[in-house]
Amino acid sequence: MSRREGSLDPQTDSSISSLPHLEAKIHQTHSLARLLTKYAEQLLQEYVQHQGDPFGLPGFSPPRLPVAGLSAPAPGHAGLPAPERLRLDAAALAALPPLLDVVRRRQAELNPRAPRLLRRLEDAARQARALGAAVEAVLAALGAETRGPRPEPAAAAAAAAAAAGVFLAKVLGLRVCGLYRDWVSRTEADLGQLVPGCPA
Amino acid sequence: MPAGRPGPAAQSARRPPPPLPLLLLCVLGAPRAGSGADTAVISPQDPTLLIGSSLQATCSVHGDPPGATAEGLYWTLNGRRLPRELSRVLNASTLALALANLNGSRQQSGDNLVCHARDGSILAGSCLYVGLPPEKPFNISCWSKNMKDLTCRWTPGAQGETFLHTNYSLKYKLRWYGQDNTCEEYHTVGPHSCHIPKDLALFTPYEIWVEATNRLGSARSDVLTLDILDVVTTDPPPDVHVSRVGGLEDQLSVRWVSPPALKDFLFQAKYQIRYRVEDSVDWKVVDDVSNQTSCRLAGLKPGTVYFVQVRCNPFGIYGSKKAGIWSEWSHPTAASTPRSERPGPGGGACEPRGGEPSSGPVRRELKQFLGWLKKHAYCSNLSFRLYDQWRAWMQKSHKTRNQHRTSGSCPRADAARREVTGPRSCQISCRSWGHPPCLMETWGLHPDWGSPLYPHLRAPKHPQQQLGWVPWFRGPRQLWPPCEATLGCTLVMVG
Repeated sequence: MSRREGSLDPQTDSSISSLPHLEAKIHQTHSLARLLTKYAEQLLQEYVQHQGDPFGLPGFSPPRLPVAGLSAPAPGHAGLPAPERLRLDAAALAALPPLLDVVRRRQAELNPRAPRLLRRLEDAARQARALGAAVEAVLAALGAETRGPRPEPAAAAAAAAAAAGVFLAKVLGLRVCGLYRDWVSRTEADLGQLVPGCPA
Repeated sequence: MPAGRPGPAAQSARRPPPPLPLLLLCVLGAPRAGSGADTAVISPQDPTLLIGSSLQATCSVHGDPPGATAEGLYWTLNGRRLPRELSRVLNASTLALALANLNGSRQQSGDNLVCHARDGSILAGSCLYVGLPPEKPFNISCWSKNMKDLTCRWTPGAQGETFLHTNYSLKYKLRWYGQDNTCEEYHTVGPHSCHIPKDLALFTPYEIWVEATNRLGSARSDVLTLDILDVVTTDPPPDVHVSRVGGLEDQLSVRWVSPPALKDFLFQAKYQIRYRVEDSVDWKVVDDVSNQTSCRLAGLKPGTVYFVQVRCNPFGIYGSKKAGIWSEWSHPTAASTPRSERPGPGGGACEPRGGEPSSGPVRRELKQFLGWLKKHAYCSNLSFRLYDQWRAWMQKSHKTRNQHRTSGSCPRADAARREVTGPRSCQISCRSWGHPPCLMETWGLHPDWGSPLYPHLRAPKHPQQQLGWVPWFRGPRQLWPPCEATLGCTLVMVG
């Protein structure tokens, strides 16, 4: 594994080389992240199909609405130390499930005859939870401090989302699905840097 | 417009972001542009309209100071830019839109009406719902497979196309008392169906109806009144078998099993059979099969493949005087009639006999039968089976008589029977000791399997060649017969 900033050098950190199960865990979590990245792309495609044009049209550029408690990976994320990157990944993955649940509930009203979309949103929330827990397990095995307490349930956010106009709800849902894709992809890349032999 | 709290990536790397109660930021229906500080709002928000109606909408730009004026704004609907002549500047910050004769919405989530700034960025959006109120659902039909559940199906009014999401709800209640109940398991046998799995009473009528609701209104079907016992049906009869009747070339025997689901209930089942020639679409129906589980089809074409189906109707359950509901037809079962070696009536293919054959040949045949009966019958009971045995013997005798018409004689053939792979299937193997022109005829008789079709005659290549096998046709396939069949070989001289 090449030495790069923020990576964990197995030659200097004897805890990795002496814990083959940790390598296996990292490898497994990386594989999971890679799979979920593919699912996240499919979710995004399914989502835009059901919102109607201009969603999904080339050149469609909706406003990048801020989502409280979660933003896209920062440009400087890749330059952070590995434990910090994973910590941010875990925090984002923990913030995503309630957001995805809110989107699913709104889509159940807007697209009740899109069972596959609703199922994908439900699966995404579950998968984000699972991946977040797996990343935290890797962090714990590395002896790194995990993130703080989990976010509160999204009761207030659900009410706010329900009150939003339909177009705004569609745009926000697109934003959440995009953030989900971005963070799962980012997690895959961060774990990939820890997997021996895996290119950057 | 309040800014969102920075997410975890923007914070210091030293500590994770604190948990937040609000997960979505709703900014009063005005999405923020990707660049610039202007926002806008469209009015009305998410209107619902009838097909063919008109819409007057406005896009009002906010901002302090306003950077975008109404002059530069434009509209799109479902991604397509609307003609400028449909828009009108009301004031410095408001652009109006007039749409007439609206078509039905393209997607159920609503048509996307968007207000854009001059540079194309999205300032605001509103979703239009254009459609029709639901019409009255009709043609409700219900059935029960086991007298405990009920499945209902209906037809939506107006061909179902309202362009709006329309919710259908099946309701039911006991006629004389009780409260309204709502069915919960939808789309069980199609898009407009529902299944009530339990807690249904017998011997008392239910009232059943369907309510349709969408954004533009609601409609209710007529009420259907029924007793569960009057709408009982079954699965199709299982294990339908079709086979030849000995060597009779115009008949097939059909056998089936009564549906097991209702075997514990007191009812009389009646059955219907339909059959057709392989390359035809016209079914002939045999009605009034009563409650037998077998039937013989007669008047068929020789050497023809037929497809046969059976269905069942349980009636008289627990004394109900109404007929039940016919089951679906069973899966088609195929079989072929034996090929006739004699020219049929008229010298061509035989038509399926719907009526009586001409009296001459039948009388002659019957006379011959009675003569045979005196000589061979063991009991005085005349039966179809006895008659069939006689017909099969006649056909074989006819062939043998023809084959022995020539001069010369052939030695006797030795036959051996052996079992082949499979449950009790047998093959006949014959060894001939003679020379051609003696040919080997293989034959066999089985009450259900009929006579073999091919080959009847084969020529051994050398004096001691073993040959001969007895295939049967069952549907379109050749199969080995069961070992209780009578198999044999005969060397015959054919001129």
